[in-house]
Amino acid sequence: MTQQKGFRTANRRYVYAFWPMMAAYIAIIFATSYFIDEDTAPLWLKIAGALVTTAPILGALWAILRRVRETDEYTRLRQLTALAQGGAITAGIAFLVGFLQIFNVIGSVDVFWLGTLFFLAYGLSYCLQHFGKTV
Amino acid sequence: MKNTVRILRSEKGWSQAELADLLNVSRQSVNAIETGKYDPSLPLAFAIARLFGRRIEELFDDGTSVAEAAE
Repeated sequence: MTQQKGFRTANRRYVYAFWPMMAAYIAIIFATSYFIDEDTAPLWLKIAGALVTTAPILGALWAILRRVRETDEYTRLRQLTALAQGGAITAGIAFLVGFLQIFNVIGSVDVFWLGTLFFLAYGLSYCLQHFGKTV
Repeated sequence: MKNTVRILRSEKGWSQAELADLLNVSRQSVNAIETGKYDPSLPLAFAIARLFGRRIEELFDDGTSVAEAAE
């Protein structure tokens, strides 16, 4: 069910949710890297640190999806297209890297970078939509 | 789809941003509609038509006549 609020309201709500999440993420990154020693910290603290660091990322994704629901139809189309293309690129590269690992072509790759790759692909796809017909 | 939104907007003396505000959409939406990059949904097309006091078919033209469509 669409809960459209219009472009301006949706954008304002997005900004008010997204940037505090990013600020929290940066603060938590610094805090966890300062207080949690990856060699000596107990397991529960490492897990707690990972969960706390991931929380703002999930919050940012929620802000993006809420904006998709609430914004105007053209922006929604562009956002959904970018999210789909970003997801497809990420999945494609994940499979490629996975098979290269299975065939012992490459060593281990940190899964962390898949998230970063998704955001990069999503952002790039959104920008590239400035060119060409949308519908 | 061809449309006369840019012409009607110019007649009113509105900028794309002003028209976007009136329609509660982004300026990019107005630009995409005017340049034919994006065809609006029926509700948005009705909103545009109402704003200019016109019928939808006076604003948007898909190049197909009623007779052709009936065939």
